[in-house]
Amino acid sequence: MGKNHLGEFEEIVLLTVAILHGEAYGVAIIDEMESRLNRSVSIGSLQTVLRRLEDKGYLSSEFGEATSVRGGKRKRFFSVTTAGKKVLREAKEQRMNLWNAIPEIALTD
Amino acid sequence: MRSHDDIKPPSFWLRFFRWYCRAEYAEDIEGDLVERFEMRASKHGAKQAKRRFRADVLKLFRPSMIKKLEGNQKLNYYGMFKHNFKITIRSFAKYRSTFIINLLGLSTGLASALFIYLWVQAEMSMDKFHEHDEQLYQVMLNHEESGKINTKDGTQGLLAAALEEEVPEIATAIQATPTHWFGQMPLSTEDKTIKAIGKFADPAYFEMFSFPFIQGEPKTALKDKGSIVISNSLATRLFGSPEAAFGQTIKWQLLNFTDEYKVAGVFKDLPSNTTDDFEFILAFDKFRDILPPEAIHWGNYNAETYVLLAEGTDVNALNAKLKSFVKDKVEWSNVEPFVRPFSDRYLYTKYENGVQAGGRIEYIKLFTVVSVFILLIACINFINLSTAKASTRAKEIGVKKAIGAKRNSLAVQYLQEAVLMTVISVIVAIGLVILLLPQFNQITGHQIRLNFDLPLIYILIGISATTGLLAGSYPAIFLSSLKPVATLKGKLNVSFGETWIRKGLVVFQFVLSVVLISSVLVVTKQIAFIQKKNIGYNRDNLVLFANDGKIADDFNTFLLDLQNIPGVVNAGGTTHTIISGGNYTTDFHWEGENPEVQTQFGNMTVTYDFIETLGVEIKEGRSFSREFSTDTDKLILNEKAIEVMGYENPIGRKVRLWGNDMTIIGVVKDFNFSSLHEDIIPMFFKLDNVSTFNILTRIQAGNESNTLDRIAELYKTYNPEYEFAYSFLDQEFAKQYLAEQRISKLTKYFGILAIIISCLGLFGLTAFTIERRLKEISIRKVLGSNAWSIITLLNKQFSMLVLLAILIGLPISYWTTKEWLNGYAYKIELQWWFFVLAGALTLLIAWLTVSIQTFKTAKLNPAKSLRTE
Repeated sequence: MGKNHLGEFEEIVLLTVAILHGEAYGVAIIDEMESRLNRSVSIGSLQTVLRRLEDKGYLSSEFGEATSVRGGKRKRFFSVTTAGKKVLREAKEQRMNLWNAIPEIALTD
Repeated sequence: MRSHDDIKPPSFWLRFFRWYCRAEYAEDIEGDLVERFEMRASKHGAKQAKRRFRADVLKLFRPSMIKKLEGNQKLNYYGMFKHNFKITIRSFAKYRSTFIINLLGLSTGLASALFIYLWVQAEMSMDKFHEHDEQLYQVMLNHEESGKINTKDGTQGLLAAALEEEVPEIATAIQATPTHWFGQMPLSTEDKTIKAIGKFADPAYFEMFSFPFIQGEPKTALKDKGSIVISNSLATRLFGSPEAAFGQTIKWQLLNFTDEYKVAGVFKDLPSNTTDDFEFILAFDKFRDILPPEAIHWGNYNAETYVLLAEGTDVNALNAKLKSFVKDKVEWSNVEPFVRPFSDRYLYTKYENGVQAGGRIEYIKLFTVVSVFILLIACINFINLSTAKASTRAKEIGVKKAIGAKRNSLAVQYLQEAVLMTVISVIVAIGLVILLLPQFNQITGHQIRLNFDLPLIYILIGISATTGLLAGSYPAIFLSSLKPVATLKGKLNVSFGETWIRKGLVVFQFVLSVVLISSVLVVTKQIAFIQKKNIGYNRDNLVLFANDGKIADDFNTFLLDLQNIPGVVNAGGTTHTIISGGNYTTDFHWEGENPEVQTQFGNMTVTYDFIETLGVEIKEGRSFSREFSTDTDKLILNEKAIEVMGYENPIGRKVRLWGNDMTIIGVVKDFNFSSLHEDIIPMFFKLDNVSTFNILTRIQAGNESNTLDRIAELYKTYNPEYEFAYSFLDQEFAKQYLAEQRISKLTKYFGILAIIISCLGLFGLTAFTIERRLKEISIRKVLGSNAWSIITLLNKQFSMLVLLAILIGLPISYWTTKEWLNGYAYKIELQWWFFVLAGALTLLIAWLTVSIQTFKTAKLNPAKSLRTE
């Protein structure tokens, strides 16, 4: 895992950005997460994680066109970078490895 | 969603978000916030949307979202500060003379303010260190005498015990004698004798007053009548160390009373912030033994009384109650006791007609005002120089305004400049204070150290902030108001108001200088007057020493031997200290006296020849003489006494003193026998040839040291083991006025400082004016103007200002100095020439300051300044 460790929330955010592919901006990400995961997310916590992931190089962002809605403010669209894809894949593989290592018996109730 | 156009996010919270959020995140996050708000508004209604918007904004308020405070060009303030700082330093470097003038002015101003603060602190802390300070009071007596009320600290010996017993508000009361009653008393061990200052006090003395002990128990040390408590240094001088002294026996002597005491305690040497000056204490009971029993009554004032009040006592109510305390005991009494805080005895010494009327506290107030004035003068320098320099910085201001600087950011720049200037000055001022503190301590007699404790730091910050803001506010307002177009064109139209203010400030500075100069003159004159005043006898060459050791056994022979020493003009003894006041009595009655009015008489018990030695002039009758064997029941009165009694021919008339008939045989001219702060009161000389405390000798001028050696020789034949301690009356007298002398010196120094600082400002201002008018002057010269007319031209402007200042300042000086002089019973008359001199001096100094520069300018080669544009 090392320094490329992803936190649980970070991983979910990264995955959601990937899901929304090209359409991932603040409110859309929140809506997607809230509808899919049934958990409420505040702008504060989301934005913090988004910026952190951008710092780590897993996300990149660019401004969209200004529109007349949302007070005329531009949207910032996030997309997953190559490094981000790689870290997501690694995370998935690690999970799978762990899943595979579980003896059959342990999961039966 | 567009249909909810009218619903807007709460603007306060939006502004709050914009204020804290990092600029690079702000736009899209704000968009998100607004989008969510709009969506919620349409779904759940405006109210909930607003609430949740607020929650969102608050949740975003986290370190990763908040602007960085420093090192980030996004935060404008830091960059501006840095820029302003740089500009300030550059302008200091560029206009070095202005900078130095400002620095000198402000730092000396601040240093003197700091000195005055330290001095005031030291003065205010006098006698305040006692643990029970809050409850510690001294009993004073208001004597009603011939229609006036005199307030004195001497009380009846009976008072303390009665107060403690009968007044519930008074928890403890003790009596003690003041040290000046006995002066130095000889103390002997087996092998040496040392003279030391001592007093008598009740056993509870050390419970009331917190003088820490090295040896012994403060509470019980004076319980035993045979105990003595001595200071650390006295113990060391007598026995080598406080430990060695403890329990040892000391032989004590006062006139022909001697006794032996056991050292029951050693206290640390008295701190410098106390008005007490004793080196040893004996039990008060011992003093009572010495006093004749008939002297202990409600009309004899033979002790000072100190009390500890019970917690929560209302002092005013207590004083109202005490008023009749003595009169209830003895009907004929004319005294009304009251209590005043013990620590007031240093600062609040003066009473007028029974009412507190200031004292040293007036000097404290005076100097606080002076320090504010000096600081003001220094601030004015700064204001004047910075506004005068406006033209040189007009371009800078113009450019800044043109590229969008707002007025308040420019104002902040100039304020910042002033505050930076002040901070540098404060540092220099602290350096000055540290450097000059030893000299300052010498003048003030305090042991002040510069401790950087919290109050001092607050004061420093307070002073720098106020001075900086004060000095910076006007330049900030003025400079930031300049019109950019005009300044860039190079036209700086100086408005009428602006020059008026600058001139007004110069006038104000010089008004203060005139007041200070004339005050210095009057204070110096008055102090000199007091010291040289004709006090009714010639104070020079009078030597005073104590009658002690074996002299007391054979007093008359000693006096005769003393008179026979070559170089000794005359000699006599007295119980009076002559300089600091002595005993008083109201038990003096005469025929035709108004029984309602009590009159206090000074009591000077003397030997033969004393009056002649002192040199007081006999106006009528005769002095005491050995030719008459019965002179012990005769009195000699002063003129004041005769005036009070209203006798036409006093000689031969009888009066009653202490119940005995006495005959008046002479009248002396009034002379001063106590402080010059007090008026002369009635007094009498009474003959006592057995023993007196002091011996007064008048010696011939010119050969003092030989004569003194011979006197010492005679003294040693009586007291071989004693050192011969003597004092000159004039020097003792000068000591009484130490406070005034110190004040006189301080006023002089601070007065001079104020003038120097004022002149610094004037100097800077002249330099600047000349710089601006250099072309004009050069053209005048080319056209044939001579140096003199140029000097007059330049000086005229400033002379008018200074003249105006003098006109305003003189009445103020007259009034202030008159007020100050009112505190003295003997004072100089204010002469017109004091003020003319003060005015002339101010004008002269101002002229000199200005002329240094105008003279230089007038001699300048006009071609030099005209050649370049």
